[in-house]
Amino acid sequence: MGELAVSRAPGEVLTSVGLGSCIGLALVCRRGRACGLAHVMLPESAGRDAHDDPVGAARPGKYADRAVPALLAGVGLLGARPTTLDAVVVGGAQMFPRSTGMEIGSRNEAAVRAQLARAGVRVIAAATAGGLGRTIRVHVADGTVTVREAGAQEVTLR
Amino acid sequence: MASARYSDLQLDALRELANIGSGTAGTALSALLGRPVDISVPNAAALELADAVDAAGAAEDVVWAVLVAVGGDLQATALLVISDHDAAAIGALLGVEPDSEEARSALEEIGNILVASYVGAVGSMTGFVLDLRPPASAHDMLAAVVSTVIAARSDGRDMAIMLDSELRIEREAIALSFMLLPTPEGVDELLERIGLGA
Repeated sequence: MGELAVSRAPGEVLTSVGLGSCIGLALVCRRGRACGLAHVMLPESAGRDAHDDPVGAARPGKYADRAVPALLAGVGLLGARPTTLDAVVVGGAQMFPRSTGMEIGSRNEAAVRAQLARAGVRVIAAATAGGLGRTIRVHVADGTVTVREAGAQEVTLR
Repeated sequence: MASARYSDLQLDALRELANIGSGTAGTALSALLGRPVDISVPNAAALELADAVDAAGAAEDVVWAVLVAVGGDLQATALLVISDHDAAAIGALLGVEPDSEEARSALEEIGNILVASYVGAVGSMTGFVLDLRPPASAHDMLAAVVSTVIAARSDGRDMAIMLDSELRIEREAIALSFMLLPTPEGVDELLERIGLGA
């Protein structure tokens, strides 16, 4: 949770299992093989620094306002520029329907989309909102991105 | 398991509170289930939240999760996690279909009873006045439900108190994972009240 990974190795599958209100953000380069995946928990860091949030400081994917730039930097190091990237957004569900204080899913999605728009990266597919948990997989070999809900079939988003 | 934040002595105290609470819970659950219920002495651990997800089980396993918000003198979120298999066992004892609304209601009520019992123990030992919100439940992948609760509760200092117990109902053994997510100030205050402040 709150982590991110990038890869260009064909055998790798980047995975985030059980996204509830969290967002799994996948970036896939159309021109090379660079891929990235961030597991975003919260919309914004609100200026918290390493002293206030030592754990968060060690998890670059935790806040959307840090995760998106960090993920872009990561795939950038693998040679992918923002204009060549497809973004896929998965998650942001409300797992406990009647419970107040648990609606951060939609705020997470909005924050991630806003950060992507700022960077000029297009969201080409999404599986978000609703009340079900999801698992996202990014197959680095061919840039396929899939989503699976519990008890259901895997669906290809990209 | 002691952490940098809580000593063994402090965790023992929290475990003891849970133990007292589980006595009341056992009595109440016996009344609900119409059979003798024995709740084992819980393991208490203070874990970083990501570790709490791992400690509760396999990320992709489908579980029942019951959430009860606690307010008043101590702000906290209580989360009860039961495997699909064990939830079905409880359902069978109550004569309800596994995925029905009745099963959901029964699990929510069990969660409510457990939290009320633990909270009651905390209240009587500390003098805190505490109230419970109505329970909410989810039936989904473990990581999805636990991470959602953790993220909502997260204020940057990610710490959860895990109390794992075993329910024994006649010959059935049912594993419960009980997670308490208080604010850090809440736990400090609680420990202070029972004479174990840092």
